[in-house]
Amino acid sequence: MKSFWSLNGLAGTWPACQIFPSRTLAVQLPISRFSTSATLQARKGKGGPKKDKRIVLIRYFLNHPRTPRPLRFSRLRALRHWAIHRAWNLYKAKQRDREERDLERMYNSMRLACEELRQIGENGMPGGKDEGRLYRVAMEKRNIWQGAPIEYARIQTDWPSKSGWNHEWKRG
Amino acid sequence: MAAVQRTLGAGSSLAQRPAALLVSRGFTTLPALHAVAQQQQKPRTPAELLDPNLVSTVSEEHRLIKHQKTMPIGSRRRRAALGSTANIPFEQLPYQCFQEARKVLAADREEKLVQIQTQRERIARLEAQDEAVSGGKAEKRRRLDSMRRHLEELKIWADINDPIVKKKFEDGMGDMNKPVYRFLANRKWHSYKRPLLLQRLTQMNVIPDVIPHLDPVMEVTATFGRPIVPGDFVDSRRSEHPPTLHVQPFTAGSKLVTIVVVDADVPDLERDSFGFRCHAIYANVPVSPTQTRIALREVEKRGEAGLAWLPPFAQKGSPYHRLAVVVLEQPEGVTLDVEALRGVQRDGFILRSFADKQKLTAVGATMFRAVWDEGTAGVMARAGIEGADVELKRKRVAPLPYKKKDGARYR
Repeated sequence: MKSFWSLNGLAGTWPACQIFPSRTLAVQLPISRFSTSATLQARKGKGGPKKDKRIVLIRYFLNHPRTPRPLRFSRLRALRHWAIHRAWNLYKAKQRDREERDLERMYNSMRLACEELRQIGENGMPGGKDEGRLYRVAMEKRNIWQGAPIEYARIQTDWPSKSGWNHEWKRG
Repeated sequence: MAAVQRTLGAGSSLAQRPAALLVSRGFTTLPALHAVAQQQQKPRTPAELLDPNLVSTVSEEHRLIKHQKTMPIGSRRRRAALGSTANIPFEQLPYQCFQEARKVLAADREEKLVQIQTQRERIARLEAQDEAVSGGKAEKRRRLDSMRRHLEELKIWADINDPIVKKKFEDGMGDMNKPVYRFLANRKWHSYKRPLLLQRLTQMNVIPDVIPHLDPVMEVTATFGRPIVPGDFVDSRRSEHPPTLHVQPFTAGSKLVTIVVVDADVPDLERDSFGFRCHAIYANVPVSPTQTRIALREVEKRGEAGLAWLPPFAQKGSPYHRLAVVVLEQPEGVTLDVEALRGVQRDGFILRSFADKQKLTAVGATMFRAVWDEGTAGVMARAGIEGADVELKRKRVAPLPYKKKDGARYR
């Protein structure tokens, strides 16, 4: 501390010190560029050799690793990531569970309906001559698939469409 | 961690802060008492108010080192980052996805708490039920057991998704009285240490030789100064005094255990074979999830040891000795007679018979090995054991009478 003050006190009397400020001002350091590549290449349309897109793609797929790089997170970031992951897993598990229960419910109600049918006989009452006739008829699979075995029938799904690809479609 | 330090470092405004702000502490492992104690201190000079977690300029660092005699913590970049960020608790970090995830997790936890409550009510109802109604005594007990197991599972599931729980466990700050931390510790033990222990015990044949079978449910770590890995060769001077054991059960409640140390490789010259020797028996040692440290030396000093520690030794020329440290659980509410244990014969000690007689079940074990080394003679002399001057030698096996071929073909 003391020496610093004394130096400052000297500054006024020391002729060499007069030069110091002017010297620091005179030295203009060049501002460093952030890119070391030639400026020409950065220009639009002009710079750099033309690249073949196919070669670029080939190089990309040859050099690019198959797996993405591992997640490198700080402690808290990793914890947050973990919490989100657990919440997502929980959500998906619950969704799956709900869907399964829904299917189960539908299956059970259909089974109950079939059981009811099986018990219906004459005049819609249980027992009698025609008991189980309705059930038998309902379970028959003749002629509903136009003679083709049922296994060949197309399973009714939303996708892919029945009519195949619509080549006529244009963006509106 | 640093977050709380920062609020304290602000110092001057602490007095005006409402108490509620202090209660919602940041993501920290420091005890709250620390914060209160600091708050009550007198106002200090500016140099003393500098926080080693937050100083980020050179002059501040110098002043910190000069006046508080402490070095700044972490990198300057980190300190600057801590100093310029708001002190937000981990749960309140303003990331939308994280906050949504927390909502999902909290809803799930609420669900689990309701399930726990209903399960408890169910158990209480079944306990009150007449045995004849619930299908006999055995059936009722079976159902109660299964329901209680499910209750324990629910308790774990309620907390397993909490990131704070995860962090606390990773920091080793978990409270072993809580089921979730016990579960995590057990899982961690099962992931590496337990398989390693079983591998060593079976590879070195401790399991059929000393105990017929073992399904370890408690983690046992023996510490001679520093912890040993199962199967380590321990210097005789290190094992001159009894080790400190860490016995970690993963189920709630306190139990009494008996600790037995057996040498399975005592040379028996008359029979040209090997036998057993008991090196120590400590009975009626209480163990619970939080009470895990058993300093056997202190147990001996209190005079509670059955058979006091006999230092392991291997005579010169004998192959390594396997020393098994076996933890046996005593039946519920049964204490062994320590005086009677003092009469147990050390040589030719058979652990199976002992365990059968006392109705003990092995719940955990660890092992180490002993060989002759430069300290063994001294250890034996201090313990009053004879035979340090004997060197054992293998019997020379008579060579088979076959004709030796000329040396040229073995070149």
